[in-house]
Amino acid sequence: MSETILSIQDLGKSFGNHEVLRKIDIDVKKGEVICIVGSSGSGKSTLLRCINKLEKQTRGKILYHDEEVTDVQSHINDYRSKVGMVFQSFNLFNNMTVLGNCMLCTRKVLHISKEEAFDRAITHLKEVGMAPYINAKPSMLSGGQKQRVAIARALCMNPEILLFDEPTSALDPEMVGEVLTVMKELATTGLTMMIVTHEMAFARDVSTRTIFMDNGYVAEDAAPEILFTNPKNERTREFLSRYLAG
Amino acid sequence: MTMNLFSQTDPTNSLEWTWFIANKYSSMFIQGTYLTLYTAVIGTLVGFLLGYLIGVIQDMKVNPGDNALKKVTVRLLKTVSGAYVEIFRDTPMIVQAMIIYYGLRQANVEMTPVFAGILVTVLNTGAYMAETVRAGIGSIDIGQREGAYAMGMSPMKTMIYIVLPQAFKNIIPEMANTFLTNLKMTSVLNVIAVQELFMAAKTAGGNYYKYFESYLVIALIYFVLCFIFNKLFIFIEKGMQGSEDYALAVEYMDNQ
Ligand SMILES: Nc1ncnc2c1ncn2[C@@H]1O[C@H](COP(=O)(O)OP(=O)(O)OP(=O)(O)O)[C@@H](O)[C@H]1O
Ligand SMILES: [Mg+2]
Repeated sequence: MSETILSIQDLGKSFGNHEVLRKIDIDVKKGEVICIVGSSGSGKSTLLRCINKLEKQTRGKILYHDEEVTDVQSHINDYRSKVGMVFQSFNLFNNMTVLGNCMLCTRKVLHISKEEAFDRAITHLKEVGMAPYINAKPSMLSGGQKQRVAIARALCMNPEILLFDEPTSALDPEMVGEVLTVMKELATTGLTMMIVTHEMAFARDVSTRTIFMDNGYVAEDAAPEILFTNPKNERTREFLSRYLAG
Repeated sequence: MTMNLFSQTDPTNSLEWTWFIANKYSSMFIQGTYLTLYTAVIGTLVGFLLGYLIGVIQDMKVNPGDNALKKVTVRLLKTVSGAYVEIFRDTPMIVQAMIIYYGLRQANVEMTPVFAGILVTVLNTGAYMAETVRAGIGSIDIGQREGAYAMGMSPMKTMIYIVLPQAFKNIIPEMANTFLTNLKMTSVLNVIAVQELFMAAKTAGGNYYKYFESYLVIALIYFVLCFIFNKLFIFIEKGMQGSEDYALAVEYMDNQ
């Protein structure tokens, strides 16, 4: 059994008196590719944002290698540099080129040399097929290109686990494929990933484990072969049939 | 009455008087122009720095995990800077000039009128810029920060490398505007005896009882200065927009 990277324990999050996450327990082991599916508003984004500490949970805790992630800023920064995140809206730095985007955080957070930062950037930009665009500004790129750069940027940090929040939802249909291809490629490298997605075929093919979230709970957490073909939970069944019906 | 329509030695009409005064007191007007520019440029630049500092302070957030000292310091800084901004935005600059200059003199702080004038300009500019900077920071999509936070960048580094450069670009027009306003507002500093343009006109006009003509001279100087700077800023702004295309790095085009 491989080691546990993240242990999410009894996690809860409320906005005012709106309880968005109720009681989440998930252990993430090294090398797992976990896809999280569920209907809109079920709390998937909030869960990922809590894991990355962009939202502060109102209950429970997150253990990273058995150590609780505290609210001390420097501790949070260290932790985040190991837990990357790719956003639906890309969030590339608009004031920098593609290369600048990929080098800033390795330079300023990991404090590696310029040469090494450059090499890393080129390596990962090649992986996503964006190396020729190093001099472009984000505003000049298509959505699919932006998202591939965002993935390369996250990889430059050598994260131990990478979180994706609906990475293809803001893309035109013809660009979804190029990003999913990159992610499928990544899944084969052994990188640990947690992916919130509405792409059911992708989730079924790529994930080693699929989580169905419903109304702030983990309703079902199973291997994709089981969850997609023979779900135990009534809500999962409803969700999937609604999804497949269109 | 001479036939010379444009007598320089014996002026008879307003136009001639204007020319006469401009010539006779040319060195005073030049000196006044210099001091006006000097006060406005230094006052505005330092005021911008102060404005950015206060704007950033007002944007700071305390993190529940911070230690008590940091929490207290941040709250104190925010309160003090908030009060400063409020006070300077809600009082006229001419009154601020009087209070600061005479107040500090009463407290036995020695300073030249020019120094006091620059100080007033700095404090005034800082207060207005703080609000502009805060709005500029607020206009940058929160995703820009989250993208940096998510990779472990501290809030301060994120501010410096991501947010401020973008906010700066957005508020360049407002900064140009502030400078032009300051160029004109230095005229109130004559109340604390700064020998700027307004003071020059007052002195020159007083000697011949030709106030209209004398102020006409400096009106022209203000106009020319503002006109030139305005055009200059528009030029700079255009230059900063940057190119809309990029060169593909062909060395990395392989196996595409
Ligand atoms: N900052 C916030 N303040 C208040 N309510 C919020 C906030 N963020 C999210 N919510 C609420 O939390 C609930 C869950 O939101 P969340 O974005 O996590 O859902 P989701 O599962 O990601 O949905 P989607 O599939 O549409 O992205 C929603 O009802 C949303 O309105
Ligand atoms: Mg979401």
